Amino acid sequence: MRIQRLQTRIIIFFVALLVLVQVLAFTFVNAANSRNAQTKVEEELNVGQRVFARQLEQNAEKLKLSARVLAADFAFREAIATHDTGTIASVLANHGARIGADAMVFVELDGTVISDTLRPQSEARPFEYPALIKANKNGASASMEVLDGRAFQLVAVPVLAPLPIGWVVMGFAVDDSLARDLRQLTELEVSFALDAPSGWHVLASTLNGDEQKALLADMPARSAKVTRLVMNIEGVDHQALVIPLDDNNNARIVAVLHRSLDSALAAFERLRFTLIVLAGFSLVLSIVGSVAVARSITRPLETLASAAARIEHGDYVEPVNLQRADEIGVLASSLNHMRSGIADRERRILKLAYEDPLTDLANRSRFNNALEQAIAQAAQGTARLTILMMDLDRFKYVNDTLGHGVGDHVLREVSLRLQHTVLGAECIARLGGDEFAILVKHAGETDLTDTARRIISALDTPILYEGQPLDVGTSIGIAHFPEHGNDAQTLVRNADIAMYAAKRNKTGFAVYDPHYDTSQQEHLSLLGELRRAVERNELRLYYQPKVSLHSAHVTAVEALIRWEHPTRGLVPPALFIPFAEHTGYIKLLTRWVIREAVRQCGAWLREGLTLQVSVNISARDLMNRDLPELVAELLAEHDVTPGLLCLEITESGFMEDPVHAQKVLDRLAELGVKLSIDDYGTGYSSLSYIMKLPVQELKIDQSFISRMATDAEISTIVRSTIDLGHNLGLQVVAEGVEDAAVWNMLRTLGCDDAQGYFMSRPLEPAALASWIRANHGTFDCPAAATGTNRVLGAQAR
Amino acid sequence: MAGALKTGFALAIFASGLSCAAATDVTLELRDGSGRPIPDAVVFAEPVAGAAPVVKPNTRALIDQVNKEFVPHVSIVQAGTSVFFPNSDNIRHSIYSFSPAKVFTTKLYSGREAAPITFDQTGLVVLGCNIHDSMVAWVFIVDTPWFAKSGADGIGTLQGLPSGEYKITAAAPALNLPPQVLNLHVDGSAPMHSTISMGAGQ
Repeated sequence: MRIQRLQTRIIIFFVALLVLVQVLAFTFVNAANSRNAQTKVEEELNVGQRVFARQLEQNAEKLKLSARVLAADFAFREAIATHDTGTIASVLANHGARIGADAMVFVELDGTVISDTLRPQSEARPFEYPALIKANKNGASASMEVLDGRAFQLVAVPVLAPLPIGWVVMGFAVDDSLARDLRQLTELEVSFALDAPSGWHVLASTLNGDEQKALLADMPARSAKVTRLVMNIEGVDHQALVIPLDDNNNARIVAVLHRSLDSALAAFERLRFTLIVLAGFSLVLSIVGSVAVARSITRPLETLASAAARIEHGDYVEPVNLQRADEIGVLASSLNHMRSGIADRERRILKLAYEDPLTDLANRSRFNNALEQAIAQAAQGTARLTILMMDLDRFKYVNDTLGHGVGDHVLREVSLRLQHTVLGAECIARLGGDEFAILVKHAGETDLTDTARRIISALDTPILYEGQPLDVGTSIGIAHFPEHGNDAQTLVRNADIAMYAAKRNKTGFAVYDPHYDTSQQEHLSLLGELRRAVERNELRLYYQPKVSLHSAHVTAVEALIRWEHPTRGLVPPALFIPFAEHTGYIKLLTRWVIREAVRQCGAWLREGLTLQVSVNISARDLMNRDLPELVAELLAEHDVTPGLLCLEITESGFMEDPVHAQKVLDRLAELGVKLSIDDYGTGYSSLSYIMKLPVQELKIDQSFISRMATDAEISTIVRSTIDLGHNLGLQVVAEGVEDAAVWNMLRTLGCDDAQGYFMSRPLEPAALASWIRANHGTFDCPAAATGTNRVLGAQAR
Repeated sequence: MAGALKTGFALAIFASGLSCAAATDVTLELRDGSGRPIPDAVVFAEPVAGAAPVVKPNTRALIDQVNKEFVPHVSIVQAGTSVFFPNSDNIRHSIYSFSPAKVFTTKLYSGREAAPITFDQTGLVVLGCNIHDSMVAWVFIVDTPWFAKSGADGIGTLQGLPSGEYKITAAAPALNLPPQVLNLHVDGSAPMHSTISMGAGQ
């Protein structure tokens, strides 16, 4: 377990340190004391031993002296000299009693016992301890010996008459009183023990009976040397000395001197108790002290920590209030500086994080946050939220062709217009690129459509850049909370889907419809099926006639692809062509289209119908170096003259990689294939560049043609475009001609060809052939048919 | 003294000027193992056959006490001799004997207060003083007129020994040695001289 708190660590450190010191000190003192006590006991024993030995010696000397005096008593000597056994026995008993001897033995010079008060006898016998009487012929000698199973201090003195005539041996019993006397002198417990055949037994002792038993239990083996040992007497350790006393007979008699270790250690125990009390006291003091020290350190740290925590939670208002001169004070002021620094930086970072630096609008993050917050609030009640997603229709072209400076200007201008147009919006954000989003609360459906229309019209006015007008349209997708999604992600996605629907349908804006979503998803499965469509022969080419405005002859047709899906029915090209372009499948599709168109052209030729066939090719096809070879092969295969094939390319098609596109176009032109610029007016291609291309035809986009009847300005643009095309030597074709008025206007303006529902919708090859034959190769303009309202007719491609 | 203790007796007898009917002196020279003369030793002769002639003993003998010592500390007397114990010291003495040949005790006395003690039994009597343990004296009581005590030269002379067979006894009590006994044929025609060597092993 790791200890996390500094305070606890400081306390533990100090207390552990002190405990360590205390334990060490205690251990050393304890060991020293223990040693001292041991040494003290040893010394006491040694002193005791010396005193004991000296005392025994003195006892013997005293006894010798007494014995000598007794032996010198004339009457005693006289009685001994009688050689009368009875007299000798009685004088021994009598005189023995005088000096308190417990045994009196008379031994003749030859070592024969004549009389013995302890063991009266009938026959003479040798004395048991001849060494005692031989030791000193003329003086006295003494030793500790056993007589009749008892220990005696034996003293032998010669009886002089005046020459020695024998020895009188006096025995002084070793008894408890002797032991007690010795204890008084030595301050040790004294016991005398005898190693009898039956084992040790106590002769005399200062101990009581039980203690004597304990002593005997611990007695060591017999030894002629002094033995040191520890005895356990009734649960108490005693340091003991076993001293052999009789050197005549294998140390049978020993004195045991011992002292209780406990009594010696008692003083030491008191010291130890004092030490423990002191240790405990200082431990408590140190805990109190270290708590105080730790507090003094950790309390300001806690203040700092809580200040840091406030900063962490984004509260930069309250400063750290810690006026101190020490390091912590320095830290506190650093923290304050840091606090204001972080606050400044956070403001800047927040600005960067949540604002689009280009337009100063909110960015995607802030928009998402605002949306999530709004959803959270709205979820509480029944409030309605709406998001509008929009992008600019031609922004990419502006950016790509005129540069990012112009793009940025457009974005800034759009953001300004949005801010002026959309009032009361919760959040207006630029999500990235040309993508904008608006969050509106509590708006009614009509308010919203109004808002969308106002935005569209606000962006209709061209943006001026260095005096030049730039035209950017927009498409807006609208999604409501909670109908179109319960969370931000779903809402944004669905608004996006609605926006693409609006763009696709060119309706300007669209409110999300679940149908969009499924159709969007259908695209994906369609794409999978499209791969099989060619093999299954589900693709068809429909042909829309181009009619000469000068002669009303039908000389050309535009091939338009159709997909007859076995279950979905007729799938419009807008649903699969863009995806085919994205996936690269368009190459296969184009190959199929050209092949089919050339085949049909050849078939018509053989039927006697000479029609120029136009085929749309995409930008990707222009990147394909093999395209000219393929075209040449197909033309040869179907025996079609190159001039009967026209390839239509959009302006953007050759703007992606102009150098490469130019090469491919040049080679196609060399083959004799006719080239045409499709959807002219929607891009920003410069005319000077177009002049370099080997094109022979210019097709004005239908968005101009459809409005030219009602809009004088557009009409002017169409006219100048026609003039421009003619001046460049190009044939000019108008697309999307839907009524007689436009037909007539175009004729007046000198446009060369026209294409549109007014003349004919795209038809199957057989139907087209029938239509041409029925009209005898010309379009008979029905003047009465003007004003037909076909604003939302199917878009031809 | 220690050297003498280790020395036993060795007796060699030299006879010269033998005379059958007449008596003669026998000179005995006592030496220790180292050849040094032994003073204060006693010698006496007893006829092997028959008793010694009854000779009126020198009835008086004297053992003085000078400076807490018996003087002489070795005496030899004929049985029946009375021995006087004058006290030349200015302190009192009390003489005793526990020897079986003569057991007696005197009271404390000074000067010539003590009555003489008659030793009428042969044997060795050891005398002590009851007051002064260091005092010791030896008295040989013999049943023969032929005895002598060696002088400082270790020589004792047995005088007027008639011809015949004798048992010669030599003893040096102060040396604490057992008496030395030997037989000697005495030819009364000439004085005899012999050396008794007292050494170890005897």
